[in-house]
Amino acid sequence: MIRRGFQAVIRLGHHRVLPGAPHVLPRLNRTSAFGSSTDSLVSRFCLEKTDLKDYALPNASWCPDMLNLYQEFLEKTKTDGWIKLPSFKSNRDHIQGLKLPFGLAATSDKSDWRIFTRCLQVEGQGYEYVIFFHPSKKKSICLFQPGPYLEGAPGFAHGGSLAAMMDETFSKTAYLAGEGLFTLSLNIRFKNLIPVGSLAVLNVDVEKIEDQKLYMSCIAQSRDQQRVYAKSSGVFLQLQLEEELSQ
Amino acid sequence: MLRSCVSRLRTLAVLRGQPGVAPLPAKDPWSPRRSFSSEVIHMDLSLPNPSWNEDMRLLFDQFMKKSEDGSWKHLPSYKSKFTQRTEDIKIYFPDAKLMKEKLSQAQLFPRSLEEGLGFEYAMFHNCVEDRIVCIFQGGPYLQGAPGFLHGGAIATMIDATLGACAIVAVGVAMTASLNISFKRPIPLGSVVVINSQVDKVEGRKLFLSCNIRSVDEKTVYSEATSLFVKLDPKTRLT
Repeated sequence: MIRRGFQAVIRLGHHRVLPGAPHVLPRLNRTSAFGSSTDSLVSRFCLEKTDLKDYALPNASWCPDMLNLYQEFLEKTKTDGWIKLPSFKSNRDHIQGLKLPFGLAATSDKSDWRIFTRCLQVEGQGYEYVIFFHPSKKKSICLFQPGPYLEGAPGFAHGGSLAAMMDETFSKTAYLAGEGLFTLSLNIRFKNLIPVGSLAVLNVDVEKIEDQKLYMSCIAQSRDQQRVYAKSSGVFLQLQLEEELSQ
Repeated sequence: MLRSCVSRLRTLAVLRGQPGVAPLPAKDPWSPRRSFSSEVIHMDLSLPNPSWNEDMRLLFDQFMKKSEDGSWKHLPSYKSKFTQRTEDIKIYFPDAKLMKEKLSQAQLFPRSLEEGLGFEYAMFHNCVEDRIVCIFQGGPYLQGAPGFLHGGAIATMIDATLGACAIVAVGVAMTASLNISFKRPIPLGSVVVINSQVDKVEGRKLFLSCNIRSVDEKTVYSEATSLFVKLDPKTRLT
């Protein structure tokens, strides 16, 4: 069903399609198709030597809780196998040299296209977040501080902003843990409101990988874990990115 | 989740024709500009602007035409939260006054991006069938996978539309759960139609659902179901 859906996307014609793009999804050999190891995905994704601005770094708007927990995890990147994920302006920057498969790729990223969770660039106004990923445990932790422009109820973060933060954390985890690319489903149960300007800690785990799908769960809570903000589960579709053909 | 109880309550008051509530001066392209000093803050953002593409304008005109006989009604949408309805916020959020300073810089999330860059949308309420249709154009700052809308942006619009549907039905309500199934990715910059409705009401619980389709209705992009809870003025939320 999913494959037919994606074939239909190619035929839709709203989107620019590469000439000669196949209309039938190639048969995936499950034993070897997703052979890119997590380590190779991480190193390609993280781009250590780059001029690109990394938004996932402390700034003046970060609350003390966020700064402290950030330092704690930074220590863990040296000792416990955690990795701090960089966060660039566009997902395209993370996958340089690669593109979406099966003619789904847009031929160019217009210069003003930006990833949703970095849409508000003034420090502290929108999403302030950093994601730490553990390759062997296939877990992520996202430190999220919603700013005043993410408001819903007066003084609290909009439900949609938390949904987006969960989807984004799922998305990075799914990609690095198993080349997950597109969200198939998202199920969120809201428990408590997150005050604007406070820290929410999102813990994401990969539950299983089966049938070309990654299943993950997330719990968003306060730093001391006394207050649960929301619980959610997400399913992502595995799709291998293709090498961009050199012009 | 309560997106903007103030602006929604205002919308509700306007819809129900309560006395003493005048609709705020809207930036209506077809009427002469009025010179109210507060006009900028209280500008209705659910009206066409230069960033709207052709599909969006066509749909908007179609729905405005349908509104002429009163069976449909356009719902205004504001950036500001603190208007004359502050008394209503105080019932549910008694500490809101204390936070006023921090909140003066706050903006309703789907309206916090500049024109054309983020969420461009307009909602219409079908008074006869009691459902809400939202026309939505996703801008360049809502990207996820290169060339497509971010799942979280889609979730935000679903939450906003279902929220409007719930609030129009029962007054003040908040999201308890959201269950979204993504069928096809939505290309960035395209226009989609979100159809939402209330399926069932059980006491204070509202069960709502919606689907997201292309303009010609042939492609289904997403489907969602949700549970909203009507707020009890006697219960504090925090």
